[in-house]
Amino acid sequence: MELTLPPQLDTGTALRYLGAAGWTPDDGTARLLAGAESALRAAATPRGVWRRLPLSALPLAGAGRDLARHLQGCTGLVLMAVTLGSGADAALRRLCLQDVALGAVADAVASVLLEQVCDGFEAEIRAAVAAQGLHMTGRYSPGYGDCPLALQQELCLALDTVRGIGLCLTPEYLMTPRKSVTAILGTADHPVTGAKAGCATCALRGDCAYRKRGTTCATD
Amino acid sequence: MQLTDIFARSRFVFLDGGMGTQLTARGLQPGQKPELAALTMPETLTAIHRDYARAGAEILCANTFGANPRKLAGTGCTVDRVVAASIACARAAADETGALVALDVGPLGELLAPAGTLAFEDAVDQFAQVVEVGVKAGADLVFLETMTDLYELKAALLAVREHSRLPVFASMSFESRGRTFTGCTVDSFAATAVGLGADAVGINCSLGPAEILPFIRRLCRLVPAGMPVFVKPNAGLPNPDGSYDLTPADFAREMEAYLSTGISMAGGCCGTTPESIRLLKQAFAGRSPAQKVPLRRSVLCTPVRCVEVDGITVVGERINPTGKKRLQQALREGDTAYPCAQAVSQAEAGAQVLDVNVGLPGIDEPAVLEHLVRELQSVTDLPLQLDSSNPQALARALRVYNGKPIVNSVNGEQKTLDAILPLCKKYGAAVVGLTLDENGIPPTADGRLAVARRIVAAAEEYGIPRQDIYIDCLTLTASAQQDAAAETLKALSACKRELGVRTVLGVSNISFGLPCRGYLNAAFLTMAMQAGLDLAILNPNTPDMMGAVRAFRVLTCRDEKSADYIRAYADVQIQTTQTSKTAASAPETRPAGENALADAVRRGLKAEARAAAGEALAHTEPLDLVNQVLIPALDQVGDGFEKGTIFLPQLLQSASAAQAAFEVVKAAIAASGRQGASRGRIVIATVKGDVHDIGKNIVRVILENYGYDVVDLGRDVPPEAVVQAVRETGAPLVGLSALMTTTVPSMQATIKALHDADLPCRVMVGGAVLTPDFARQIGADFYARDAKASADIAKQVFAALKA
Repeated sequence: MELTLPPQLDTGTALRYLGAAGWTPDDGTARLLAGAESALRAAATPRGVWRRLPLSALPLAGAGRDLARHLQGCTGLVLMAVTLGSGADAALRRLCLQDVALGAVADAVASVLLEQVCDGFEAEIRAAVAAQGLHMTGRYSPGYGDCPLALQQELCLALDTVRGIGLCLTPEYLMTPRKSVTAILGTADHPVTGAKAGCATCALRGDCAYRKRGTTCATD
Repeated sequence: MQLTDIFARSRFVFLDGGMGTQLTARGLQPGQKPELAALTMPETLTAIHRDYARAGAEILCANTFGANPRKLAGTGCTVDRVVAASIACARAAADETGALVALDVGPLGELLAPAGTLAFEDAVDQFAQVVEVGVKAGADLVFLETMTDLYELKAALLAVREHSRLPVFASMSFESRGRTFTGCTVDSFAATAVGLGADAVGINCSLGPAEILPFIRRLCRLVPAGMPVFVKPNAGLPNPDGSYDLTPADFAREMEAYLSTGISMAGGCCGTTPESIRLLKQAFAGRSPAQKVPLRRSVLCTPVRCVEVDGITVVGERINPTGKKRLQQALREGDTAYPCAQAVSQAEAGAQVLDVNVGLPGIDEPAVLEHLVRELQSVTDLPLQLDSSNPQALARALRVYNGKPIVNSVNGEQKTLDAILPLCKKYGAAVVGLTLDENGIPPTADGRLAVARRIVAAAEEYGIPRQDIYIDCLTLTASAQQDAAAETLKALSACKRELGVRTVLGVSNISFGLPCRGYLNAAFLTMAMQAGLDLAILNPNTPDMMGAVRAFRVLTCRDEKSADYIRAYADVQIQTTQTSKTAASAPETRPAGENALADAVRRGLKAEARAAAGEALAHTEPLDLVNQVLIPALDQVGDGFEKGTIFLPQLLQSASAAQAAFEVVKAAIAASGRQGASRGRIVIATVKGDVHDIGKNIVRVILENYGYDVVDLGRDVPPEAVVQAVRETGAPLVGLSALMTTTVPSMQATIKALHDADLPCRVMVGGAVLTPDFARQIGADFYARDAKASADIAKQVFAALKA
């Protein structure tokens, strides 16, 4: 289905993605953010698809401890996928060629817009699920923690993302269009929160700039 | 039912309905592959086909939608087995009623490069495998359907054309905005599919009859009168539980709107049933297909942009190395970023089509043109004019082009006509015909008209329609042959009037050898537009030329309410003071120079940096400017970044400003023909399988700013290509990037390939999932935390080489 872009870009998160959390952008950077945002608003065609499925819809046995922890106590699944569309990818390629600073800022802005679209879509799904008397965890994506990226394959098949929103996987399980998200949420008849992957199984554990500062990427 | 019934268009031919939804309704379990139904539930599959045939379907699509090598991987079943069994099921049902059986071919489920990593020729190969088996299994025709990527449709059409003689139907799926997921328009679909030789075109899936109707009306206007058009809508829109909202009776009723559109075949897609087809046939009973009234338009297209050549159309001429030293250098070095940036800037200036010419002595023109076309179409949505007289180069570029291009050019010589026109026909390209032949350029308008007539006759003989022929009456130089300008324009008007073709001229040649060329160019362009010029090949970055074009559009009422003109010029002030020649070359004020440049770089001001570099070059050697001004300024910014006083966006703006200054320096060096400012060569690439290249692009700019010659191999680069580039360039340093855990193995494979090839280069790696330990484990010499670090590593490596 067609989704809408958020009315306002979360500039703070965009700056965080650009390694400048909490900074008040100078004029040049503010111009880049505005230029990137308007180019992406013109190029993006956000689409989403979701389904409620039984736990058996995914091969969860081989999908790692972190996802199991996330789904603890859940009796069903909600799978969702969102993409900004191939127009956004093309715009990013073009902007990067025009100006590498604009390209890098646009890449971050696209990720933030995508995240915001996901938040809106998740809220919609949550309402639909709540209407059926169910509780739902937050989003968890393949590749987090010890959950293999290969799980994308089953996730995309279960949602038929190719026909539904034009989202395809490469043989290395990269999503194309590039600015896309898939997520697994658990449902239960009692309140569930899910669990983020955390640092314990993160590949970047040993060399993480956030951890060196005493924070994590989830809290900074 | 005979194939001839389809093409006679004298009665409606009925197609079948949904297959996947029928399989599910008749027992296919979630997780079970519908592709394998012919093996796992053959009786059910045959029963579905039989029900459709009995309901009136005259063409049955075999259950081969997903029977391609990629989707069958891991099932233990071969394409041969699945296709043969699926066609056998359809045939068993068809024999009862005399229906035809189609080899049904859906998308491969993976995006083609540049959107994804699937190479165009790999896609052609996969489709070819399916087609060959389908032919062997006795399919009557090939039905390409539910395509959303025009490039993939092209790959499939080529595969059918090259591996069978069966008729081929081509069908795409559109969203309610009238575009496919990848942005392809109905216009681009029609122009491309017709050009590539589809025998019938249509629209299926995604939407219901009411939503598809306007797109089918459009499609019927866009294809030749004799070409059948078909439609297979879903049973309305899907409900949350997976069902569809139209009953068979509703579906049939909504389909009645199609009776008057010009379609001659109809069926259904997801959610439709044998009952839908039975009622559809009933609703259409006693009616025959309406006449189609084609718009005879001249169009060029990419998937997302269809340019109708109707009135003056600007072709950007900047991607042509003749007389352009900087572009020559870029082409020789395999640097595609420079011409790609030229493409983007011409598009911004108002070009509607881009000429692409890579003809340079000693260059492998076929390989370079093909590569550049691929790169260009990843950054621009303007149609391309493939400019070459080399048939091999044209063949390769035409093959990988996504959409409908124009070939520049053929001429009246029979040899070129016979070499190039068949290529234009095969790949559905328009063509430019130069009015010259083995005897040279006829001096008179009549002489050129005669050559044009021969070209048109030859093109039509090869099956190229007249609206795709563009005649170039040739601009001669006014300084040499002053009376020739009038003759060219006379010939142009005569060609339009008498042959009904489009016309094209390279405008700038008129002024060669005379001062203030812009005046002559603009005046000649205006005269040519008045004479009926359609395609003007010019430099859109010249304000005078675009001004003449926009003014002409206003004065001939093509620019309604002068809207485009106002948009372009509302904020522009034109200087009216006359500047004398001497004053222009020696301004009174001393150039601001080096301090201004350093300041502009530090503050990240691109335009100022560019201007300051130009001024500084008046009194500073290019190399000194780089070493004494640019690099120290960048170092200062880099230090601030490391200390945390400067943030990444600021660092990048400085890099971007330095890049703009560097471009001025490079142009000066190229123009002077002197040795470059290179501090050494570095090969960089995003590894095979990975398409995330923003980090690599930043590294490229930073390294270039520090004066290194960077050979950027792009993204999704196989190990062999990296090895080859290092071997050819002798680069002592290689930079590799990978963003995902799944693509780090290919980084490791690339490093191993470099070691196995015994190349004495060092390797630095970077990317989100890498750590210093991990970098060591996969055999890298250096881990680059960020772009600044890559410049430090480069400094270290090249200093060690000198020592």
